[in-house]
Amino acid sequence: MTTDTETTSGAARRESGGAVRRYLAALRTPRGAIGAGLLGLLVLLAVLAPVLFPGGYDDQGDNALAGASGAHWMGTDELGRDIVARTIFGLRTDLTLLLTAVPASAVIGTLMGLAGVISRWLGAGMQRLLDVILGFPGIVLGMSVVLVLGTGWSALFVSILVIGLPLFGRQARAGLQVEQEREYVLAARVLGVRRRTVLTRHVLPNIVDPIVVNAAVYMVVAVFIEAGLSIVGLGIQPPIPSLGAMLNTGARYLEVHPAYVMGPGLVLLLLTLAFTLLSNALNKAVLRR
Amino acid sequence: MNAVPQTIVPETRHDEENALLEVRGLRTEFRAAGGTVCAVNDVSLAVRRGKVLGVVGESGSGKSVTARSILRMVPEPGRVVGGEVLFEGRDLLGLSEPNMRALRGSEIAMVFQDPQSALNPVLTVGYQVAEALIVHGVDRRTARRRALELLQQVGIPDAERRIDDYPYQFSGGMRQRVVIAIALAGSPSLLIADEPTTALDVTIQAQILRLLGRLRDELDIAVLMITHDMGVVAETCDDVVVMYGGRVVEQGPAEMIFSRQEHPYTADLLKAMPRMDEDGMRRLPAIPGAPPDPAALPSGCAFHPRCRLAEDECRTTVPELAPRGGTGQAAACWVTGRGAAIPPLDRAPADGGDRPGPGGTSLLSVENVRVNVASERRSLFGRPDPVYAVDGVSLSVAGGETVGLVGESGCGKSTLARTIVGINRPAEGTVRVGPDGVDAFTGAGTRPLRSTVQYVFQDPYASLNPRRTVRQSLGEALEMRGVPRGARAAEASELMRRVGLNEGYLDRYPHAFSGGQRQRIGIARALAVQPKVLICDEPVSALDVSIQAQIINLLESLRDDLGLGYLFIAHDLSVVRHLSDRVAVMYLGKIVETGPVDAVYSSPQHPYTVALMSSSPAPDTTARDRERIVLTGDLPSPKNPPSGCRFRTRCPIGPLTHPERRICAEEEPPLAETPHGQLAACHFASEMAVLS
Repeated sequence: MTTDTETTSGAARRESGGAVRRYLAALRTPRGAIGAGLLGLLVLLAVLAPVLFPGGYDDQGDNALAGASGAHWMGTDELGRDIVARTIFGLRTDLTLLLTAVPASAVIGTLMGLAGVISRWLGAGMQRLLDVILGFPGIVLGMSVVLVLGTGWSALFVSILVIGLPLFGRQARAGLQVEQEREYVLAARVLGVRRRTVLTRHVLPNIVDPIVVNAAVYMVVAVFIEAGLSIVGLGIQPPIPSLGAMLNTGARYLEVHPAYVMGPGLVLLLLTLAFTLLSNALNKAVLRR
Repeated sequence: MNAVPQTIVPETRHDEENALLEVRGLRTEFRAAGGTVCAVNDVSLAVRRGKVLGVVGESGSGKSVTARSILRMVPEPGRVVGGEVLFEGRDLLGLSEPNMRALRGSEIAMVFQDPQSALNPVLTVGYQVAEALIVHGVDRRTARRRALELLQQVGIPDAERRIDDYPYQFSGGMRQRVVIAIALAGSPSLLIADEPTTALDVTIQAQILRLLGRLRDELDIAVLMITHDMGVVAETCDDVVVMYGGRVVEQGPAEMIFSRQEHPYTADLLKAMPRMDEDGMRRLPAIPGAPPDPAALPSGCAFHPRCRLAEDECRTTVPELAPRGGTGQAAACWVTGRGAAIPPLDRAPADGGDRPGPGGTSLLSVENVRVNVASERRSLFGRPDPVYAVDGVSLSVAGGETVGLVGESGCGKSTLARTIVGINRPAEGTVRVGPDGVDAFTGAGTRPLRSTVQYVFQDPYASLNPRRTVRQSLGEALEMRGVPRGARAAEASELMRRVGLNEGYLDRYPHAFSGGQRQRIGIARALAVQPKVLICDEPVSALDVSIQAQIINLLESLRDDLGLGYLFIAHDLSVVRHLSDRVAVMYLGKIVETGPVDAVYSSPQHPYTVALMSSSPAPDTTARDRERIVLTGDLPSPKNPPSGCRFRTRCPIGPLTHPERRICAEEEPPLAETPHGQLAACHFASEMAVLS
């Protein structure tokens, strides 16, 4: 028998662990750390909103459109409500929406992309369905959802979910097609491993990276979908605050009360920045492998 | 870094003015976050006018970086940090960038390995050749006329018509000719060819090597040829430089290097290569270990951990390249430098003396299998015409027996292998497995198929899931055999020992292993289900030369210890000769010759077999002047195979040379017995025996 004389050339190299471990490694890069810290701060603010502002978001004072003061740091809106409180509660609305709708979109989209495993026709059919979705501009799609579901949180949730499907569905299908021809997938098939096991054990772990990165990128897009639909008045309805709706109303008072748009605008900026940095860091960590 | 010994450029028989390119003490470093990697260290070499210099080495030896350093095209973050590159007396390292650019293409040109990516797919070949002239100041009309001349010169048939074709309309060999035409456009005096034939099949390789030789003779062009293939060097090169670990370890005229090696690496590497003219009764004397990682070179002589002659001095001090014997040969070795000869290395007989040998019942038999590869592509608009990549193939493998399956890319050998294990479905025919001959494609046959036949893949980097540890990969296979969870750890350790790996590596991920080690893991995974037959699909062709012998030896001892049968697929005829008991030669979906390995190799009967053997380069300069049969043209498409004998469009004894032989086009020759004991499918089978 031969003996082991070959040197393990890469022994010193870092072991690449599971997906979660690699994502955590991404958070240790400067970008990842800033992005995650910023996002953590925003989530904390949103969670603590009722504690920070026991008065809630629709406590109407008598001073409408007041400037900054000790009681109201950024002044009040057209109904005399505190802008800071409404911004933080708006952030709470947006984060709830993003952190549920985007993962839902990623999961459903991925499943649609992998449908080809069940049958060729189902896979091809799903892709055509995704093509149809892709054929509509996001805003038109969102408006049609509103027509069916009416305005409100659920319409936004569905809009964000549906608009994201082609992104994840195509990504998953492309990954599947590459992985299906990989020799380790063939090796598993030659061993007689069941299709479902091949899928979860060999295919999914190798295509999940670009999907996670895409999900982080899509968070940023989703913020704009919410804002876009709210700006045309089809988003979250008053009195519940959302960042998009506040920007929409605040824009009317831009000349008399510029701080009105600055509050939600600044938070939106920070939220976008956080997700952009995170997706960048994830992308780099994943590609470096 | 070690102290760099001052290299004395060896006194060579080639005088100074004869050297077109002279590299002295070249040093190229790659600076990365982890530290500096010295890829090329104190390399000196000379290319004589109108001669071919071969630079040979394994992966990581620095041969390609040397070539790129000469052209000052080292990829980031690499940098040439020392030495001189004298081209006709000018130091290229001191030239300004515009001057260097003017020189590239006009005086020194490069031919790349992969003709697929060396040509721009959206431009016609004529334009791409002409462009090489236009950038050096030739007007368009002249450039086009010259482009046509060049395409004719490199042997593109019907060049007037094909000049406006796009690269995808050409075969791989023809594309490489176009790449060479582009290189020739500026009438360079030096051609740097980086593995110019590695991506090509043997019969096409022979065409390209012949073309390079002709260009050298007709145009007096010098060639710097980078290669890993000792056979190519022996066939084409006048001088040889052997690199290892970023340094030149041996250099000299080709005849000297092949007849008497002065460095143990060169000597043992040549010994470790299977030969087409030697049977496989003895094990190959493999060099232990793997080529070093350039980022972690051993101290002293980089070869010392693998060298059977290593002494203390070798471990601490780098030996300098010193002339040997006044014939222009030089080597960097302390031991041979003192005048000691390299002791001969005898091939050990196979362990246990006589191997049990093939015997008994067939464990795998393929009967008349046809595979339609177009059936996958059926669309909404109906089925495309069938394309039979495998068209009526029968063969069988018994326990302890190795059946070699040889053929060029596109002949259907991998399709056949994948069909046997059920990845592709046959359109016709059956595959029977096990002693009882169960039909593998019935419901009852799936289990026997999985437990009898397993597959070893070509690319050790792609055949293991990067996300799973070795233990998980082996565990999956053991699970399929039905080994209970508790017993898997012990079985996995046993498998690792079997394939010669440390069981302590079980919890590592694939990227921590070298190519040879990964191939061992791939073999262990296949063995985990205790199969009777292994299908080895080019298992050594992606490995470094010095590793190939280790894997071949491993496969041999596994076969003899476990009584395994192998269907061994390869394009390398010497490897097949060494391992096989019987051999089958495939051409365009059909077996054209099959029989006992000795009969086929000693007296091939089919003209294609003869041509394959004749095209395979042998690592021996004395074989250089042998009569060679170089096939013309390319493999036809299986979509539309030639009528009658499929080989007739390239056959040296067919209608091409004997127009009266109409039978070749009209009637398909059956596999018929020949006087030497093998079967051959040729109407004029015995005729080739005279030529070979």
